[in-house]
Amino acid sequence: MKWFSNFGFQRRNQELQEEIDAHLQMAIADRVERGEAEETARQAAAREFGNILLVRDVTRQMWGGGWFEPLGRDVRYALRQLRKSRGFTITATAMLAVAICANSTVFSWIDGTMLRPIPGARDTGDLVSLQRGERNFSPTPPFSYLDYRDLREQNHTFTGILAYHHDWITLTGGAQPERVYIANVSANYFDVLGIKPMLGRFFLAEEETRPAIPNVVLSYSLWKTRYAADPAIVGKSIEIARHPVTVIGVAPEGVVGAMPGIREDLWVTLDPLGTDEWRMTHRSGGAVWLNVIGRLRPGVSRGQAAQDLDTVMHNIVAAFPDDHLGENRITLDPMWRSPFGANGYMAATLPILLAFAAVVLLLTSANVATLTLVRFVSRRRELAIRQSLGANRMQLVRQMVLEGVVLSIVAGAVALVLTSWTSKTFAWFFPANSNPTVLNGSMDHNVVIGIAVFSLLAGMLCGALPAWRSSHAPAVEVLKAESASISGGSRNRKLLSGLVVAQIALSLPLLICSGLFLRTLRNLASANPGFEQDHILTASVGLNIVGYSDDEVRLIRHKILDRVSALPGVKVASLTDWIPMTLGHKGEDAYPEGYVPHPHESLQVYHAEVAPRYFESLHIPILEGREFTPDDDEKAPRVLIVDQTAARRYWPGQDPLGKNLRVWGSLFTVVGVARNSTHIFVNESPEPMVYMSFFQVGYETIVQVKTDGNPVDLAPAVENAIHEIDTRLPVFDVRPMRESTQMASSFAVIQSTLAGMFALIGLVLAVTGIYGVVAYRTQMRTHEIGVRMALGASRVDVMRLVLSQGVWLTGLGLALGLAFALGLTRLIARLLYGIGANDPLTMASVVMLLGAMSLLACYFPAHRAMRRNPVTAIREL
Amino acid sequence: MSEKDQYKNRIELLQGTLDMLILQTLQWGPQHGYGIVQALRLQTEDVLQVETGSLYPALHRLERQGWVQSEWKQSESKQKARYYRITAKGKKQLARDLGRWERIVEAIGSVMYVKPKESES
Repeated sequence: MKWFSNFGFQRRNQELQEEIDAHLQMAIADRVERGEAEETARQAAAREFGNILLVRDVTRQMWGGGWFEPLGRDVRYALRQLRKSRGFTITATAMLAVAICANSTVFSWIDGTMLRPIPGARDTGDLVSLQRGERNFSPTPPFSYLDYRDLREQNHTFTGILAYHHDWITLTGGAQPERVYIANVSANYFDVLGIKPMLGRFFLAEEETRPAIPNVVLSYSLWKTRYAADPAIVGKSIEIARHPVTVIGVAPEGVVGAMPGIREDLWVTLDPLGTDEWRMTHRSGGAVWLNVIGRLRPGVSRGQAAQDLDTVMHNIVAAFPDDHLGENRITLDPMWRSPFGANGYMAATLPILLAFAAVVLLLTSANVATLTLVRFVSRRRELAIRQSLGANRMQLVRQMVLEGVVLSIVAGAVALVLTSWTSKTFAWFFPANSNPTVLNGSMDHNVVIGIAVFSLLAGMLCGALPAWRSSHAPAVEVLKAESASISGGSRNRKLLSGLVVAQIALSLPLLICSGLFLRTLRNLASANPGFEQDHILTASVGLNIVGYSDDEVRLIRHKILDRVSALPGVKVASLTDWIPMTLGHKGEDAYPEGYVPHPHESLQVYHAEVAPRYFESLHIPILEGREFTPDDDEKAPRVLIVDQTAARRYWPGQDPLGKNLRVWGSLFTVVGVARNSTHIFVNESPEPMVYMSFFQVGYETIVQVKTDGNPVDLAPAVENAIHEIDTRLPVFDVRPMRESTQMASSFAVIQSTLAGMFALIGLVLAVTGIYGVVAYRTQMRTHEIGVRMALGASRVDVMRLVLSQGVWLTGLGLALGLAFALGLTRLIARLLYGIGANDPLTMASVVMLLGAMSLLACYFPAHRAMRRNPVTAIREL
Repeated sequence: MSEKDQYKNRIELLQGTLDMLILQTLQWGPQHGYGIVQALRLQTEDVLQVETGSLYPALHRLERQGWVQSEWKQSESKQKARYYRITAKGKKQLARDLGRWERIVEAIGSVMYVKPKESES
């Protein structure tokens, strides 16, 4: 009651009490006046008045809207009932809490990634990411500055369009150099995102194109950790890659940039040092380097905006056709599924897992409903008494539903506590990698609302159905004949059976999906990626992020290769600027000589720059021609090696050797053909790949070593060898290839882990569900079984009797579940590898497993019934 | 059947008549619950005894329907009490109730006092 009291209600209660008191006072006064003694007058008046409590009660009902008090009473009653059957309460609460937690955990991951794609930004629903050309996952930056500027200035559907490009760099000048992620951004970057500076200012429009304005904006966390939250930081000079730059502002806490899942640490303009003039004035090749995000005008749909941009792009292509060969169509994606950054992957995985979790919740509700129904049946006497005492059916139903709701509220509270921890486990799934990823679940009001909805739903499901059924029981019958034959009536039996069938039918698809996911994971792990993953160690060297001159860089690279090759335990050492299967790739438009592209064909190829002996160290065979040699350096003619996909696509039926490819405006000659190998995912569709000579066009420096023994053991030696050249050289991401390539299967791991856990919960619930119901029903039929045995039924007959109902329920559940599974597996077909969505082996083994477990669950009660002594069984009611 | 329900039934039986009696009593001036009981007893010379279990629910219902208004006042005997006053809406209702009552009395009377027919003897 305390919880539901409200001020108006209490005041009226108070007044009613005073009114009644006044009545009594006046009656007493009258009687005293007539000569009665005070005490007798008081008693007579009270007697005349009648039952004060009752008068108050009935009067209160006249007020209407006074539902607080009955509700409070019902809640107290529900709590008392739940306290009485502690076993049920704890079991049901625990099961519901786990099921709700499964849902809220996945939801918190969705909330932290897809629903909050750009932390700190205003109205992210209006933001769209722009892609040019063929739509694919984790594309390379699609726009040149000039194209971006034209789109920004000539569109009619956006309030603003921003552009950015980010990469690693090293902060120098302090005691310790620090590797940070820096973004070159258009001047309107923060404006379009709707972010205001915490200190100082952001960039001005005129700073965008005027070169050599070395201004920098710091992120909150960088300001805090590296600059000790210096409140006077604005205007001070810091050093980035040995260049002095001026801090003009600090972004607010939590702002990490515009790419979902990636953390940017500081922001500069597009050409802060005036060294990138070429990139700012060209439209193709290396000048295509910007990711672009736009904010739609209010009321403009994505389709309209895409059309508008397509028109502008069409004009650009018409004006500069040589810079825009191939496909140039513009596609727009909302940020929650933007292919740039992490959300593309999230959108493919997490909603499906949420659907699985929802099935778990349904399953759990069905299980708790079974328990509740059994409980209500055993309480049918109590219910019948209450009914005959004048409680109407609605009141009884409300009372019973309330018990379910109270359960689910408690379960929701437990789930809330659990989720505040499980939401943060998302980051565990991502192995250490070379990207500054910030992926995790978040626990905010959305999740709390979600939990409330989940628990309410569960409460209604597991309370309402049994309640409605149980309230049907005719009171007189129940009270009169306390015979076992009633056993809850045939209605309840049907509902119980239905609930068991539902549990089996719901758990089967979960088991099948998790089986498919597990086999996918195994297939991925055992798949041959086409290159050697074991005995390979890679280490990144931050050569181009600390400000060496080109000549210095060249010299250091050669020194690194020499020294690392000479280390004991190193079989082969090479250099590269890309590691396969780490979710990243480099793309470039390449124009093969003599090749006429199909209309709308993208000419983008993947590319990697590799030093001599790269293919040898990774065991990638060169099928034709030769590998790179130390002579393929900057003075030699540009050469490249293509993979089979590229060779077949551009020169079908011809000898690719000696053919030319134009990339970045220069001609490269094919000197070799390498066998296909995996680029990003084992289950990718192969894209053409070209390898270029590291000493001609290499950018980042990654040392790749083939070792005799465990690659980890060699890590310190490799690091030392590099530091002997120059102690200031940043060496990072030193790890075995096997570890790096785990990134490619992290989503498969997430899927199979969660689906596996959900399926296990499903299996346990379904088996305990059928066990509970068969055991309960057998117990109810003890008397009948006794009679049968006394009349000559054998033990086997009894066994058959009990088992047959279990078999029926199981069979029906399996059939329904299989139909359900066939629909559900279609949803996950895209996520599978090396196995069909309707794989008969998986289906058959899961059906067998579930069937066998269910039968085993039925066997125990059947066995018990068989061993009963018929005499005691008959006596038992 | 619970005690509560018995009260409820009695209200139902008297409904209309009890409402009418209360409204009529309040015609003579604002009155508190105890006063209404006393007035009805005096008027009917103890024939009608209104149960408090019916009176207060009725008063609160009439107030909710807007036929009476209440306020706390001091009685002559310095007792603070809740006085009910009939509203314009209540007066209209009373007229309606009275009309209906007269029709019922007339109808019942025409049944009860009819002379026996002389046929069929």
